[in-house]
Amino acid sequence: MPSPNACSAYPTGDRMSPIGSSIHRKLLVVVLATAAFALLFTGTIMAVYDMRNFRDSSVTDLAAQADIIGLAATPALEFEDPQAAQAYLEALRGKPTIIGAAIYTAKGTRFATYIAAGHDAIEFPRIPELDGHAFGGGELGLFKRIVSDNEILGTVYLKARLDIVGRLLDRLKVLGVVMAMALAVAVMIARRMQRKVTHPILEIAGVARNVMEKRDFSSRANKVTDDEIGTLVDAFNGMLAEIDRVIGERKRAEGALQDSESRLLELNAELEQRVESRTAQLAAANKDLEGFSYSVSHDLRAPIRAIGGFSSLLAEDHAAELSDEAKRKLAIISGEAVRMGQLIDDLLALSRLGRKAIEPTELDMVAIVRSVYERLNHADPGHAVDFRLGSMPRAHGDRNLFEQVWMNLLSNAIKFSARKEQPVIEVGGITAENEYVYFVRDNGAGFDERYQAKLFGVFQRLHRLDEFPGTGVGLALVHRIVTRHGGRIWADGKPDQGATFHFSLPRELSDGGI
Amino acid sequence: MEEFDQVDILLVEDNPMDAELTMRGLRDQKLANQITWVKDGEEALDYVFRRGAYANRTDGGPRLILLDLKMPRVGGIEVTKAIKGDERTRRIPIVIMTSSQEENDIIDSYNLGANSYIVKPLDFGSLAEVARQAGFYWLAINRVAT
Repeated sequence: MPSPNACSAYPTGDRMSPIGSSIHRKLLVVVLATAAFALLFTGTIMAVYDMRNFRDSSVTDLAAQADIIGLAATPALEFEDPQAAQAYLEALRGKPTIIGAAIYTAKGTRFATYIAAGHDAIEFPRIPELDGHAFGGGELGLFKRIVSDNEILGTVYLKARLDIVGRLLDRLKVLGVVMAMALAVAVMIARRMQRKVTHPILEIAGVARNVMEKRDFSSRANKVTDDEIGTLVDAFNGMLAEIDRVIGERKRAEGALQDSESRLLELNAELEQRVESRTAQLAAANKDLEGFSYSVSHDLRAPIRAIGGFSSLLAEDHAAELSDEAKRKLAIISGEAVRMGQLIDDLLALSRLGRKAIEPTELDMVAIVRSVYERLNHADPGHAVDFRLGSMPRAHGDRNLFEQVWMNLLSNAIKFSARKEQPVIEVGGITAENEYVYFVRDNGAGFDERYQAKLFGVFQRLHRLDEFPGTGVGLALVHRIVTRHGGRIWADGKPDQGATFHFSLPRELSDGGI
Repeated sequence: MEEFDQVDILLVEDNPMDAELTMRGLRDQKLANQITWVKDGEEALDYVFRRGAYANRTDGGPRLILLDLKMPRVGGIEVTKAIKGDERTRRIPIVIMTSSQEENDIIDSYNLGANSYIVKPLDFGSLAEVARQAGFYWLAINRVAT
């Protein structure tokens, strides 16, 4: 779609004519110049040759004339009769080109002279010269000795006017006429030839203009000749074909690009919508989960409270009516109710952890461990644990959550080492390259490394309840807290040789981990 | 003799077993002379503002409200809002009884002016602690008196 602007930027039909006329003129100039040069060259050569020929023949003619005069004047010289010689010379009046003649005696005196009419000013040489001729001033002078029986009797002198200029003009006139005719023919031929040359060029130009104006790269120029213009047409058509191909490819590529772009947009929109709906689903699921947690914490615990509470009331109020066995069973009911409550509490804590935002502060790990251990020891002062608290680097994290972490790790260590004669619990930490690493080591029951993978799973227990009580949630909670802070947790141990729990925290607490 | 008639504790609890256990615990610990038990939030508000069935009650108080959160019809949060929003009653201390430490409940209760909270089942050692912290010295006095 060429805009008006584009139109004016390219030559239109009117502007094509200078190109045509220019080629026309150039062709004409070439043809005419060639013809004119050829004719001039030929004409000049011919003229020069003709002039030379003319002069040679003039000399020969004049020499023959001098011989004839000499022959005729011989008796007059022999008899010293100037009148007779004069009469012979007068015969030269029939030769208009000869303007003067003289006969000299052998002694060199002028014997007779002749002057053509109108050439009175002519001067004759004072003494005769040897046989020869000389040109000068458009005139030819010629000496010829008169010889009879090997005796020089005298000399004839003839002077002729040679009309070289006139003759040259005649020749030039002819040349001019011939040239004019030849050039006229040349122009006619050129006109005809030029049509054959310019027509295909103009056609190419027309196709080119069509291509520019209509952007139609499928049009082609007609090839009518097999000459250079034919080659030009071929090249032009080849170029059009190439442009057509390239543009086609580009259009296809653009089309493909547009397709993929719109497909991408579509996919994007789809993806966004999917993310939105998934987010909504997730939010709904989260809300459900919250509702579930709430229900569990309130509704599930009410009957457990009743079971535990009324078991206690039964044991208290009716102690007298109950056998020891009945009391034992009641105690089991109470204890299990408490354990069930604990399980629910732990589960809720785990679930709360997923929803609660972490509030990081600087953590003085040594102080936290000390206070946590004191609380634990206060609650159960029965064991004389050898508690060794080493130095530990400070870190960043949520204080409440790390109190929970230490609480769980330390209570585990106390619990699993309680049966040892001398329980030993060591706590320490180091600063590694990019992280802080903390550990809790005990000399307790340890664990079988084959089950290491199960250590941190929810409700995964590696010991029987009658060996060590617990809900199987504590380490899962620890694991969750540590990983939410961007850290790692791992453990090693052997049965009856104690266990060591390590956890790490990044030195730079990244927001992404929270 | 108003002193004698005075209700010490209003227990708002919809679960009868929880209520029984709570009252038993309170008595065992000799924490109060007189406990009135109402079964939901509506009844609690009627009692406190002397409306409906309690329009003609003549006794004073209560001096403390033990309030369950999750109840049918009118919940503990609404009861707290109503009592703490009324000039006549806003000085009555409210201790929320929750089944768990669900955060939102606790935050909501404190925002509305609840004085403290305890987690069920009532650990009466902790109730005594709460009472001490909240300045309920009369509880200790009554304890000696009874």
